[in-house]
Amino acid sequence: MMRLRWSLSPIALAYAAALLLFAAVSLYSPGFANPSHVATLVTLASFIGIVAIGQTVVIVGGGIDLSVPWILNSAAIVTTALAHGQNLPLVWLVPLVLILGCAIGVVNGVGIALLRVPPIVMTMSVNVITQGLLLIVTRGFPPPTAPPALTFVAAGKIGPYVPMMLIVWLVLAFVMVVIERRTAFARYLYALGSNRAVATLSGVPVTRTIITAYAISGTTAALAGILLTGYSRQAYLGMGDPYLFTSIAAVAIGGASILGGTGSYLGTIAGALVLTILNGVLPIFRLDAGALRIIYGFVILLAVFIAAPSLRGLFKRR
Amino acid sequence: MSFARRHLWLPPLIVLAMLALAIGVMRPSTFAIDQLNIKIAAAMTLILIATGETIVITRGGIDLSVGGMLSLTTAICATRGDPGPIESVAWIATILLLGVAVGVLNGVIITLGKLQPFVVTLATWSILEGCALTILPAETSGVAKGWVDLAHATPLGIGVPVFLLAVLILTWVWFRRTRIYNAVRAAGSNERSAYLNRVSILGTNAWAYGLAGLFGAAAGLYFSTQTGAGHPTVGAQYVLPAIAAVVIGGTSLMGGRGTLAGTIFGAFILTLIGDVVFLLKLQSYWQWVMSGVILMLVVIFTGLSESRAARGGE
Repeated sequence: MMRLRWSLSPIALAYAAALLLFAAVSLYSPGFANPSHVATLVTLASFIGIVAIGQTVVIVGGGIDLSVPWILNSAAIVTTALAHGQNLPLVWLVPLVLILGCAIGVVNGVGIALLRVPPIVMTMSVNVITQGLLLIVTRGFPPPTAPPALTFVAAGKIGPYVPMMLIVWLVLAFVMVVIERRTAFARYLYALGSNRAVATLSGVPVTRTIITAYAISGTTAALAGILLTGYSRQAYLGMGDPYLFTSIAAVAIGGASILGGTGSYLGTIAGALVLTILNGVLPIFRLDAGALRIIYGFVILLAVFIAAPSLRGLFKRR
Repeated sequence: MSFARRHLWLPPLIVLAMLALAIGVMRPSTFAIDQLNIKIAAAMTLILIATGETIVITRGGIDLSVGGMLSLTTAICATRGDPGPIESVAWIATILLLGVAVGVLNGVIITLGKLQPFVVTLATWSILEGCALTILPAETSGVAKGWVDLAHATPLGIGVPVFLLAVLILTWVWFRRTRIYNAVRAAGSNERSAYLNRVSILGTNAWAYGLAGLFGAAAGLYFSTQTGAGHPTVGAQYVLPAIAAVVIGGTSLMGGRGTLAGTIFGAFILTLIGDVVFLLKLQSYWQWVMSGVILMLVVIFTGLSESRAARGGE
């Protein structure tokens, strides 16, 4: 109950920010609130949202996952390279690629939990190693186009306005919130994130929890990679890079403390929406990619400042 | 305290010597003086950026924003046109001061907000790289010819990078005896007791991150004069190697213990791995895989030996 009360207000704040931002931009540029444009925004937000499932889990547990960009990219490239534009191979490819992502996550988790490598160093190394291996295997050439079934799921619509990805995202979000509220794993995760020493002494299976958290992150990054190839109709090198900042920023905007122990995926959803709206604003104001990076940076800073429990102690001497 | 723990730079020196020997056997011309110039010139960007990282990691923090600083300064350098000598000096001073300013800001935000260094510097990395992309949307040559010529001059047959390295080492010999570095080390090994001994945490962080910013800017300046071009996104390629050079060099990620000599050896090890990959006729991407694997292995082994030492000390 305590947790709910503390985390409710930042989440409400994040949704309020998303709504305000959307309303402001819609007033300025009426086409922005056009249903088909909103559908596009929701679809784009869903990719950030899916990567951020894993990032939320890892950050709540007191870690960070910097390996999502190239797990995502590997998943995308392996899927398209092995499917050769055919739908049928997806039956075995999708599970295989998800297991691959999960396995890379397990490597992260083992390094962090058992070998005591700091999360930043471990996941950053795994990111570079994955990138290197992928480029070696593909020799730097882009693979063929995505199978049409993936494009159907990732870019398709039910009726005129409801994107398929909204359904996918809602289902995943529901599962995630149930996990967060009802499972022992989540209780361990929050305990671990708020105080590792106390968690260990109270019998939380630390190793297993950490490995599971990174495994989830690897899996969701891989899933986002598979779906994103469907949306962009092909896989390309570097497609995962934007998702490092956006997944962390989504979690931070959603009110989770980067120090771990608090936060909910409900907040992260609002974070993903805020970031996507910001992204959509740029062409309206004729801003470029550089401006977006600057805005992301400030948004992360602002979010961690608001979420920082130490804000009250700002003027107190430590 | 064992010999190896007092001389942190020794293990990386041995690894470096073995690597150099292996390359020397494969390609005997490696030890010619001009080859030495080339190797130092190639490693200098990494050495500069890793020097700043050494100070921050000794402080017990981490600075990811040096990548953005590197991108931004190369972008600034490539858009200066063709300045005269006085203008050039003014610009170089401005660039270095900008690095200090951004770094100090990092330090102040981290201290006052009591925030984790990696989040703050991740955010400033994004901001700096955004600025770089705004100034220079794509990789372009355009660094003043005078600057490039100066960086490639070879008085007495010795390249400018070699002189830079010598200056860096001499400065460090002085710097590591100063009160500032002592404060950095003290705060890195135990923040609370450092504070109780009247070490200003805010001041120490401002110094540590300010110097990291300075060296990040210096690295960008150096890099752009070497390539003659601005690279608005190059920083991302240097963040992991910079941390890797520091860690391979024997500086503890837990803070409190650091050595520049080790970092320099670490940077050379990472640079020579590229040569080994080339000589073995492997794809260049192997370099990334190898540096990642080496970083992981070093952290795992030092972590295990540190926890063993901690247990032994109890």
